[in-house]
Amino acid sequence: MESNTTQDVDGNILVTRNLKKYYPIRRGFNPFSGGGKRFVKAVDDVSMAVPRGKTVAILGESGCGKTTLARAITLLNPPTSGEVIFDGQNITKGKVNYKKIYREMQMVFQDPDSSLDPRLKVRQSVAEPCKGLLGREDANIDQLVMNSLKAVGLSEEHADRIPSHLSGGQKQRVAIARAIAPQPKLVILDEPTSALDASVQAQILNLLLDLQKNFKLTYVIITHNISVAEYLSDLLIVMYAGNVVEYGPSSSVISRPRHPYTITLIASAPIPNPWKRNLLNTEIRGEVPSAINPPSGCKFHPRCPYAEKICSEQVPELREIAPGQFVSCHFAEKTSMGNIPSGNAMTSVLGDPKN
Amino acid sequence: MEKTITNDVLQRNDASKDLLTISDLTIAYHSKKDRLLALDHTTLNIEKNSLIAVVGESGCGKSTLALAIIGLLAMPPAKVETGAINYKSVNLVDLKENQRRQYRGTEIAMIFQEPLTSLNPVYKVGDQIAEAIVVREHRKGGREIDPDIQVMQKAYKVNTPEIPSRLPRIRRGATARILRNEVLDALKRVRIADPEQVIDRYPFELSGGMRQRVMIAMALSQKPALLIADEPTTALDVTTQAQVLKLMKILMDEVNTSILLITHDLAVASQVADRVIVMYAGDIVEDAGVYDMFSEPLHPYSKGLLSCIPSGSKDKTRLKPIPGTVPNLTVEQVGCKYASRCPNVMNICSTKKPRLIEAKPKHKVACFLYGE
Repeated sequence: MESNTTQDVDGNILVTRNLKKYYPIRRGFNPFSGGGKRFVKAVDDVSMAVPRGKTVAILGESGCGKTTLARAITLLNPPTSGEVIFDGQNITKGKVNYKKIYREMQMVFQDPDSSLDPRLKVRQSVAEPCKGLLGREDANIDQLVMNSLKAVGLSEEHADRIPSHLSGGQKQRVAIARAIAPQPKLVILDEPTSALDASVQAQILNLLLDLQKNFKLTYVIITHNISVAEYLSDLLIVMYAGNVVEYGPSSSVISRPRHPYTITLIASAPIPNPWKRNLLNTEIRGEVPSAINPPSGCKFHPRCPYAEKICSEQVPELREIAPGQFVSCHFAEKTSMGNIPSGNAMTSVLGDPKN
Repeated sequence: MEKTITNDVLQRNDASKDLLTISDLTIAYHSKKDRLLALDHTTLNIEKNSLIAVVGESGCGKSTLALAIIGLLAMPPAKVETGAINYKSVNLVDLKENQRRQYRGTEIAMIFQEPLTSLNPVYKVGDQIAEAIVVREHRKGGREIDPDIQVMQKAYKVNTPEIPSRLPRIRRGATARILRNEVLDALKRVRIADPEQVIDRYPFELSGGMRQRVMIAMALSQKPALLIADEPTTALDVTTQAQVLKLMKILMDEVNTSILLITHDLAVASQVADRVIVMYAGDIVEDAGVYDMFSEPLHPYSKGLLSCIPSGSKDKTRLKPIPGTVPNLTVEQVGCKYASRCPNVMNICSTKKPRLIEAKPKHKVACFLYGE
C-alpha cells in the first residue's frame, strides 16, 4: 500500500502514488478571492495498486472521497498532485493522450438515469464513446455495440429504445455495455448497484462477474455497501475523510478488520439475521469530520474508542499488521472487533429454497 | 351486511392489542388510459407498541400503503376502491379532509426518506419543532390544556381551527420559554448532543443523520400512537443508519408508540422489526414474526429476496437472482402475480389468486404451496 511496497510491482494495471485532490474554497461570488488559502482535501495522499484481472473495492461513507478518487484516476478531475500509473505509463505527466487512455480505461457512472442521454437510443448511447475513441467512420463500431449489448444480456429489440423505455436494471446494463464497448482493460464502477432493487442488484452482480471472466477485465468498484464489496472484490480499500485507513485482501479485512473505523463500519452494516442484532449493539460516536478543517493527527481520533494522546498529535502510517493487510492506526495490534458476526451468517439462516 | 361484519371485527380488535386494522383495502391510480392497481385487497393489523417492517421492491405498493394510512394520497389520481382503515373505532377512509387532519401528526405521524426535502429550508430547526408542539397543544382543545400553553396559544394566534399561519418563534417572553424548553426536550430525546446550538440552526447546517433525528423529534413531539417511517435510513450512511435505527427502537418504548417501517432492505428489517410483511406487486405475500420469517420463509418470493442478498465472497457462492421482472400493474392480473417468476409454479397459480392464509400459527402466506 505504501508507495515503496507497490513500486514497479509487475501485474499491477493501475498504481497511484500520493494522489491528492484538493478543491479550493472561494468566498462569495468572486472566483479569484480566497482561492489557494483553504482547501477541501477530498483525496489526501492515496497510494494504491490494482492487480491485473482482479477486483478492488473502495469502501467508505459519503464524503470520504471515493468518487473523487475515481475521477482523479480517470483524469476526469485531474489530481492536484501525485502520480497515476496506468498500464505501465505515467498518465499524470506530460501531454496526455486521452484517446489512448480511455480505450483501455472506462468508467460506469453512479446513476444511469443521469449518465444516459434521454434522447439517444441505446444503440447510439453505446456507440458514442466508440466513435470518439476509434474514429467516427470505423466499420467495426456496429459490431462492437451489438457484441457488448449482447454481453450484458440485452437484445436487438432493446437497442432501438430510449432510456425512459427501460427499467432501472436495463439502464444499468446499458451503462455497463457502453463502458465495455471499446474493449477496455480496466473498468471503474461508481456505486454500480446502489440505485437498484435487491433482485436486480443480484442480476447485475452476476453479470459483472461473467463479464470479468469473459473479457478479462480489471474492476475498481466504488461502493458503500459492505456486502457488495465483500462479494465482488479480491482487495478492499477502506477510506475515511480522504485517507486510506485500511487495505488488504477482502476476506481478511472483513473477517478481521483492524482499524477502529473499519470495525465500526462492519459492525453497523445490517445483516439479514434477527438472532444477531449487531446493529443495536454497536456504539457509534460522533459524525464524519469536516473535510476543510479535519482533526489533527489521525482523523478518526475524536470518534475512536481506542484514542490516546498520540492519536491527536501524529498521523499514523499505513503499517502491515497481517500478511497483505495494511492499517493506518497507532494501536492496530490492540483493536478487537468484539463479536461481529461473519458475513456468512446468512447461509445457516436461509437453507436451500425448495425445488 | 358488510358494515356489521366490519363493526364486529372492530370491536374484537379494540379489545385486543391492535392499534390499527386495515381490511380489504384496494387502491388504484387512475389516469386517462390506465388503472394501476397499487394495493390489491390488502388486509393487515398493527399491534400496539410493536415495530412492523413492510419490505418489498420499488413499485410493490409499500409507500402507497403508508400514504393511505396517514391520508396523504393525492386523490385523484389515487382512488380507494374497497376496504377500510380502522383506527380507534373510526374508519379513516370515510373521513372528510378536515376530520382526517385531526389524526395526522397527533395520532399518526410520518417521517420520510429524505429529511432535507421534508424540512423547511428557510426556518430554523427549533421553530419547526415548536410548530409541531403548538399544533399538538391546540388540538387537545380545551380539555386537558395547560394554562401556560393557553397563553402560548394566544401569543401565537392559533385559535383558528387551522394550523397557525406563521411559525411560532421561540426567542422572547415567558411563553416562548416554555415552548423553548419543550423543543429542547424533544431534541434531547433524540440524543442530539448540543440542543441549545441546534435549535438555532437551519436544516442545511445539519448532517444527514441529525436532520433525520430532527424529523423524528418533530414526529414524536406529538406523541403519536403510530409512527410511519418510509425508508428513513435509505439516504444515510451505514454508521448513521445504525444510530438512527437504534434510536427509533429505543424511542418506541420511551414514547410507547408503534412503528411501521417501510424499507426495501430485508437486512434492516431483520435487525429491528418484531414482525415482517413482504409485499409484491400490490399484494401482501407473507406476514410473519421476524424469527419465523428468517428461519423459515414460506413464500417463494421471500425466499428469492433472501437469496439475492450477497453474502460471503464470489468464490464461494454465486447469487441466485429472481428471474424475470415485476408484472405490469396496469394490466389486469389473473392468478398469482408472482407465477411467471416462481420456481415452484403449478397449474392453479395462473388461474386463481391465492389468498393470504395462516399456514402456521401467526405466519400468513399467500401461496398455493401451503394449502387452500
